[in-house]
Amino acid sequence: MTSFWNALNNIESYICRALLVMFVALLFTQIISREVFDHSFSWIEELSVYMFVWFVFFGASYAAKMSAHNRVTFQFGMLPRGWIKWIEGFADLFWIFFNIYFVYLAYDFVFNKMNKFWKSQTLGIEMKWIYMVLPIAFTLMTIRILQVNYLKLVKDVDVRDPDKIDLDDFKSDKDA
Amino acid sequence: DSFNIAVGDGAGGTQEALGKAFIAALEETTDHTASLFLNGQLGDEQATVNDLSIGTLDFSILAINNITPFSPSVGTLTLPYVILSLEDAITVTQGPIGQEMVENTVRDAGVRIIGWAYSGFRVLTNSARPVKTVADLEGLVIRVPPNEIMIATYKAWGVNPTPMAWSETFTGLQQKVVDGQDNPYITVYAMKFDEVQTYITNLRYLFSIEPLVVSEAVFQGLSSEDQAAVLAAGKSATDFSVQFLRNEEETIKAELVSRGMEISDPADNEAEFIKLATEAVWPQFYEPIGGVEKLNDVLTALGRDPVN
Amino acid sequence: MENEIVTILFGSFLGLLVLGAPITVALGVSSLISFLYLGDNPIKFVQIAFTSVGSFPLMALPAFILAGALMEAAGISKRLINVAESMAGPFTGGLSAATVMGCLFFGAISGSGPATTAAVGMLMIPAMIKRGYDRGYASAVTASAGGLGIVIPPSIPMVIFGIAALGMMAPAEAVEKYGTFQTVSISKLFIAGFIPAFVIAGSLLIMNWIMCKRHGYTGNSDGWSARNILCELYRGFWSLMAPVVILGGIYSGFFTPTEAAIVAIFYTLFVGIFIYRELNFETMNRALETTTWLSGRVLLILFTATVFGRLLVENQIPAIIADGMLSLTDSIYVIWALIIFFLLFVGMFMETLAAILILVPVMLPVAYNMGIDPVHFGVVMICTLGIGFQTPPLGENLFIASGISNISIENISVRALPFAAINTTAIFIIAFFPELSLWLPRMFGY
Ligand code: NA
Ligand code: NA
Repeated sequence: MTSFWNALNNIESYICRALLVMFVALLFTQIISREVFDHSFSWIEELSVYMFVWFVFFGASYAAKMSAHNRVTFQFGMLPRGWIKWIEGFADLFWIFFNIYFVYLAYDFVFNKMNKFWKSQTLGIEMKWIYMVLPIAFTLMTIRILQVNYLKLVKDVDVRDPDKIDLDDFKSDKDA
Repeated sequence: DSFNIAVGDGAGGTQEALGKAFIAALEETTDHTASLFLNGQLGDEQATVNDLSIGTLDFSILAINNITPFSPSVGTLTLPYVILSLEDAITVTQGPIGQEMVENTVRDAGVRIIGWAYSGFRVLTNSARPVKTVADLEGLVIRVPPNEIMIATYKAWGVNPTPMAWSETFTGLQQKVVDGQDNPYITVYAMKFDEVQTYITNLRYLFSIEPLVVSEAVFQGLSSEDQAAVLAAGKSATDFSVQFLRNEEETIKAELVSRGMEISDPADNEAEFIKLATEAVWPQFYEPIGGVEKLNDVLTALGRDPVN
Repeated sequence: MENEIVTILFGSFLGLLVLGAPITVALGVSSLISFLYLGDNPIKFVQIAFTSVGSFPLMALPAFILAGALMEAAGISKRLINVAESMAGPFTGGLSAATVMGCLFFGAISGSGPATTAAVGMLMIPAMIKRGYDRGYASAVTASAGGLGIVIPPSIPMVIFGIAALGMMAPAEAVEKYGTFQTVSISKLFIAGFIPAFVIAGSLLIMNWIMCKRHGYTGNSDGWSARNILCELYRGFWSLMAPVVILGGIYSGFFTPTEAAIVAIFYTLFVGIFIYRELNFETMNRALETTTWLSGRVLLILFTATVFGRLLVENQIPAIIADGMLSLTDSIYVIWALIIFFLLFVGMFMETLAAILILVPVMLPVAYNMGIDPVHFGVVMICTLGIGFQTPPLGENLFIASGISNISIENISVRALPFAAINTTAIFIIAFFPELSLWLPRMFGY
């Protein structure tokens, strides 16, 4: 059961790593095929770009979960530590409103506004399915923002930017 | 009002010329004006079609194959060797068939075609050798945009084309990642392809048509006098585009030759190219364009024999 | 109307930044507010989200990040730095000079400034401290040289600059005045950065020599040994081949930059698994994970910065700013000074890629109107933002160097000031002599 929750808690990471491996492999296949066999697959470029877009937006949600989105923080230098997380939490309310509004727009675009005939050029997939990543990933991202703020504000967990966690790795490497 | 016109290409091409002519005519007959946003500053060409249909953009000038995914019957004009001359292009787009396409795109895509720019045939350029027959193509690596009709045509000629993003094409040709590409003379000249290519073949498999489209929502919001004025401005811009192509193409050909490019015509009036392409490619696309009848309507209007 | 929208757009953007909202949120929300204020339908955001990210050349970004992470894990970086050390170690200030050269070597396989600082610093900072260098000085020289990672190709900021500048052709007035401008391409930018990287590295080496003379840091006692260099060259053979494969592949025309990054990934997998045998499933998995959140975070900014830029374009704001700047002066040297000091200021606070995405639509038109070549402009912009890695308050290289040496950021940044000064001087030279950037691409026939 815990492993199930663990998997769910890192779902974007799994999706992204799989997509990354796949599009890198597809592009390599294209290079080899072109340089060695003088043959190009016409659908590889399009498919890999679509996989890349999915990778980016799920990756953005994963970055939200890791609290990795860059903020400007020098202006907080004078403030007590306990205040900063509340100010950032307040700023995140704008993020949540933005995302909810964007999910509404994306849903409206995909299901009502976008052209019904629109298909991708070489794969012939309906663009509707490819655009679905936007409402899905931004919904997930909103859940992640709420999750991080719950951990920071209610549970008092120190959720830190992974850039900074890296430093601890370096220190332990050096001590070792 | 001041309208925004999205333009896919940069300065100096057919699209900009059409846009400028349209604005001039519009300003003369109405109190409206418009500005051109070149180089896809307002989004890529396909994205602008959705923006027009929602009504968040006023006008767009774009290649016809970027309308096809939204209104498939327009695709007839993008089949290889349907149009064999500028006169054919004018007959089809400005006659009853063109009118039917306008109505179809209003119905399917929420955009209205009000003018046509003609960019000419996509001629083949390459850096390896003169190409006059289908056999000459063998072994050449040709860049194509990710477009299934163009890919199918090259395959019919026995070439496996390499899809490559437009932004990488110049460097790709220069570094010989690919040997050749096809585009109208105006584009070959504007992109300075003469610096990296030597041979031109006057293929006629695709005639580039770039319509000026208006958002149907915006159009219906205009008074009936203004609607008439917009349509008239589109018509006069179209006439200007015909003249523009005739003048430019001749000047550019001479200039390219003086820069050392070698231009040749396909052997036997292109018969072998035409036979292979039409027999293999046309049947694959009957269904998406709405049936073989659509193609036959066009062929009949051009005085050619229908297919069965 | 323009004035009002500028106030609303930039005012809400800065307000949100000060509140501590992520940069991407500040961009997105301020654009949304402006859209609603103008009465425009924000449904445009949806297509922009998709099309801003969905481009083939942009795939070079995750590919280079992944290649860099794998090279670190495969032991390729370590061996490159050993080669640099064997060459420079014996001279006055030799170890710190080796650090600068190590950053130059490592920069030729990595596209990121902080990654360069981390890879070189982890080996060289402890080594310098052991040899009696002041901890603050050792960290400062590493943090300063780390910026070379984005000037020498391959470079992730150059990929981003190329993407941002590709869609922006010169305005018609500028073409009329100065003739046509060359088009920007990522390959061209890569080659253009080569000589400027050596100019900057040279300036850092001079400052290092002066400082070490003063502090009395001598070379290592083993003396200079050709045998030792050959030995390290031999051990580092497969590592030294990595830049050859990446850069050679691009310049000889076998691959586009995106494909070069893909090939680098497979080259690293081959070397790391079969030759050095230091790559395993866990380290590879970690490299994939890092690539995921790094790409996601940057490219989300790409989406909101594109919306922000679209608003500027539709309201003709870049043209207004350009006119304003040009009305102040018509001296190209003054304009360059304004541009460089402004970028230094922005680089203090803002992440490099975000700064490029936000500023290119505003500043490139100014450059065109002054007759500045877009490739040259890109090189100067990237060199200048590279200094931002070593300036507080947001200095990624400082954070990393401080993490390794346990010295406070204030201390390191003060010690890094002389390097920042001479680096800025080098940038002025690069700005005033365009041929430093433009000669090499022309030699390669671009
Ligand atoms: Na680099
Ligand atoms: Na900084």
